[in-house]
Amino acid sequence: MNGTVVKNQLIFDFASGSLGLSKSIFASTYLYLNSKASSIHRTFENVLGDNLLENTDIPLSKFSYSDCLTNKTKPVEATNDNNSPLSKIVGPLNDIKWKQIYKGFSEYTPNIDDADELKLIKMEPGTAAPNHSHGGKEYILVLSGSFCDEYGTYSKGDIQINDQKIKHTPIASNDEGCICLSITEKDVIFFGRYGSFLNLFTFIRSFFK
Amino acid sequence: MDKSGLDRLMVKINNDRDEIAFSELFDFLSPKINSYYLQNGLISDNAEELTQEVMSTIWSKSHLYDSSKSAVSTWVYTIARNKKVDFLRKNKDFKYNEYDIREFLYQANTEHKNDKYEIRDQVEKINKELDYKQRQIIKMNFFENKSHKKISEELEIPLGTVKSRIRHILIKMQRIL
Repeated sequence: MNGTVVKNQLIFDFASGSLGLSKSIFASTYLYLNSKASSIHRTFENVLGDNLLENTDIPLSKFSYSDCLTNKTKPVEATNDNNSPLSKIVGPLNDIKWKQIYKGFSEYTPNIDDADELKLIKMEPGTAAPNHSHGGKEYILVLSGSFCDEYGTYSKGDIQINDQKIKHTPIASNDEGCICLSITEKDVIFFGRYGSFLNLFTFIRSFFK
Repeated sequence: MDKSGLDRLMVKINNDRDEIAFSELFDFLSPKINSYYLQNGLISDNAEELTQEVMSTIWSKSHLYDSSKSAVSTWVYTIARNKKVDFLRKNKDFKYNEYDIREFLYQANTEHKNDKYEIRDQVEKINKELDYKQRQIIKMNFFENKSHKKISEELEIPLGTVKSRIRHILIKMQRIL
């Protein structure tokens, strides 16, 4: 399946409310940074709204309209808070306590209760991420800076979705480096210079999960 | 009831706090929301409670509906969907609810310039390009959130056919969006 179809599928799944927590945060941040994705999302929400309008009728047996006139619902107020959805979860990017994995490559994993692991990755200018392939799908969203790999250049608001067949080596841009949000469905298998060390690290870490 | 009918009711509900208008909206929407929850696999008690919550939200938060930004049906759908997600995540002590995650989408100051009419055009194009069977699969997959397996059972077609049809639909929609 080509990349755009997979991206649209993520947007549609977000609109349908079927994503887990990690992927919801990821998709929401993607829409926040990428206006094209956001417009596709709005269109698809309208398609789903039409489905509601044309849906079959199964009347309520326990409630009537008068049960809805007293306000027991939690307050939902419009605010002017236009911050990134991610910053609500992890705070400002500048304040993140990065954990260095090796020189020039750091990670931060927010504590989120979900099967898919959401992670922030920071690569200093010119740093390469270890060459790796994937057990499950990997989603990468560029939050700042840019990176390139065998398939192209990715800048702020771009996403890349990789499946298990793809091996790739992302390299952060030389001037500003790169901060990305990533989701890994299953543990990544590393190759190359740091490969065996990182696989061992992943293996050992799996005991502490 | 058509879209302009819904718009008129929302104006009466919001500006005049008109309970008769709300009861009309309730009679029209609540059976559809209730069946949305049942299609999504909720048991009847939960479906009714969530539907009641959605309708209460419409009544108490009618001032948050912005007719220049979206159709009533889309606004109601997003309320219903968010309540479903919160309900399914169940984890009660979790700090973030679905509204927190999507909050920026509901802000008036978002800079997305594409207005309601542009989106309407695209939706109509999608409806024209996709035939009945394809729209039915979209509904089952993304509105009712049924698994591919469930769809194949209900439509009595092989699982592989469901997967390839969904893929075909996604490719078709990609050309429109």
